[in-house]
Amino acid sequence: MPELKHGFKIDTAKCVGRMHCMRACPTHAIRVKDGKAHLIPELCIDCGSCLGVCPSKAISATTITLAELDRFKFKVAVASPALFTQFGLGDTPAQVGRALLDLGFDAVWEYAVDIELVDRAITDCVKKWPGPFPLISDSCPVIVRLIQVAYPSMVEQIIPIEVPREIAGREVKRRYSQELGLRPEEIAAIYITPCQAKSISILQPAEESKSYLDGAVGISEIYNDVLYRLRKSTAKLKSDTQEGLMDSGELFHWGNPEGEFPNLSREHYLPLIGLTDIIKVFDDIERGRLTNIEFLECHACQGGCNGGNLTIENLYVARSKNLHLKANMPKPPLEFEREVARRYGSEDFSLRGSVKPRSLAKDVVDLRARVMRRKRAEEILKGLPLLNCGLCGAPSCKDHADDVALARSEISDCVFLSKARIDLLRKIYKKGPRASKG
Amino acid sequence: MAAELLRESFQIQGRNFDKAGEISSEIKVILKDLDIDAACLRRVVIVAFEAEMNVVMYADRGTLTLILTDQDICLDVKDEGPGIPDIDLAMKEGYSTASDEMREMGFGFGMGLPNMKKNSDDFCIESAVGKGTSVFARVRLDSHA
Repeated sequence: MPELKHGFKIDTAKCVGRMHCMRACPTHAIRVKDGKAHLIPELCIDCGSCLGVCPSKAISATTITLAELDRFKFKVAVASPALFTQFGLGDTPAQVGRALLDLGFDAVWEYAVDIELVDRAITDCVKKWPGPFPLISDSCPVIVRLIQVAYPSMVEQIIPIEVPREIAGREVKRRYSQELGLRPEEIAAIYITPCQAKSISILQPAEESKSYLDGAVGISEIYNDVLYRLRKSTAKLKSDTQEGLMDSGELFHWGNPEGEFPNLSREHYLPLIGLTDIIKVFDDIERGRLTNIEFLECHACQGGCNGGNLTIENLYVARSKNLHLKANMPKPPLEFEREVARRYGSEDFSLRGSVKPRSLAKDVVDLRARVMRRKRAEEILKGLPLLNCGLCGAPSCKDHADDVALARSEISDCVFLSKARIDLLRKIYKKGPRASKG
Repeated sequence: MAAELLRESFQIQGRNFDKAGEISSEIKVILKDLDIDAACLRRVVIVAFEAEMNVVMYADRGTLTLILTDQDICLDVKDEGPGIPDIDLAMKEGYSTASDEMREMGFGFGMGLPNMKKNSDDFCIESAVGKGTSVFARVRLDSHA
């Protein structure tokens, strides 16, 4: 397996080991040793739960900046529909699009078409699928990674259809290389992302293929620049030639958890939002229940992509903006329908590559050795206090026992078993902010 | 001859729908911990869940034993319940003696036993009316390689 990349980095110079991230991580992928947080890469699912909770702001998303795009001859923005929910009620998607052009993009992609195309591809796939059910949406990279790490038996239920942003990236390259006579690698297809998870899914897709997109810029990265341009007179901004499409209501479907897949009957289709609830439902699926549901649409973030961790606007305000936009959208223009029909017949939407379970055991040992290791971990756990205090640097006593059995740490890291550990912690945490103030 | 690597028994409490499914979840955690092949794990967990539900729905109490060898995973389930008068009939898809109450909770569609058999490489069931039922299911570790 190639080295796993992740969508954020921990700045060890800023990290003072306060363990907020370790406790927030749903897959227990973070350890705090010697006062510094670090990641167990094979357990991390890029959900970003750690990003917001760090009191020292030591964890940041690794998206790209606009300056990095200068090497391309033609730059196209593929904007997540969540972007358009971030500004005022009076700021139309067309105006936001013009601001993106003013910011240096050469074109803003008619992403709604790709979203509609994938909706149709999903509908067809679900109807033909022989089982097992339910199929699970792959648009949220956190969900795909959660399944790889924690629900390996469910990887074959991830719907084998490309996500809309990839379909958009492919078409961006194809159309502009044809129209402008450029090589595809001279054209940048840049996703404007509501979360760092999607940027990592571009850098290293879970299905082990290569992304059609060239990178992702976080909404938070361009928020101020776009807002500034919206507050200036937008009439002076370059006008978008595809304005008709930019105004189409279809643009806003994807970022809305209810709207990703509107063409299935309600009783066989379940939208799920929030990692905690999704985990509960996945547990049921793994036991073979929920077979009457055909398709699960899953978004790890509370509120779906509008609540992604690189968005700025309060989730509820964003949702209200989204409803407002939808209510005021005209019916999609005829060209939109025509374009969807034309492309649906000529493109392939099936997922390139396949998603496989992520192997969690770094060292390959035989079953007997794994059983021995598990028994050892159980023995070790019996000697631990089960308080999950975290002072050993693992989020729970169970994790510490597993770490010791895996030779990832020493049993004496537990403060209940070793006084030396307390002395060591005292030394490390004296260097913290409180001591330096005095 | 297969060498036994691990054996763990779990008590199942009859008619406690609150806790139903906990034991199969525990088994899932154990097998996942051991990095058992995903397809094999899936089958074992389905068999364990159906077995657990049968005990919860019909019996007073039962025991589920997980036996892992270097060749297969076995589930040995014994309960103290009403027993099954006609096993051939009980193995038919869609045959069910579940009460309306159970059906309302989403169980008792007559798929439990057939589903267990379908997901096992070996399956046997014995029952004595008025005493209880015992089920033995085996899933080979290499059956999907």
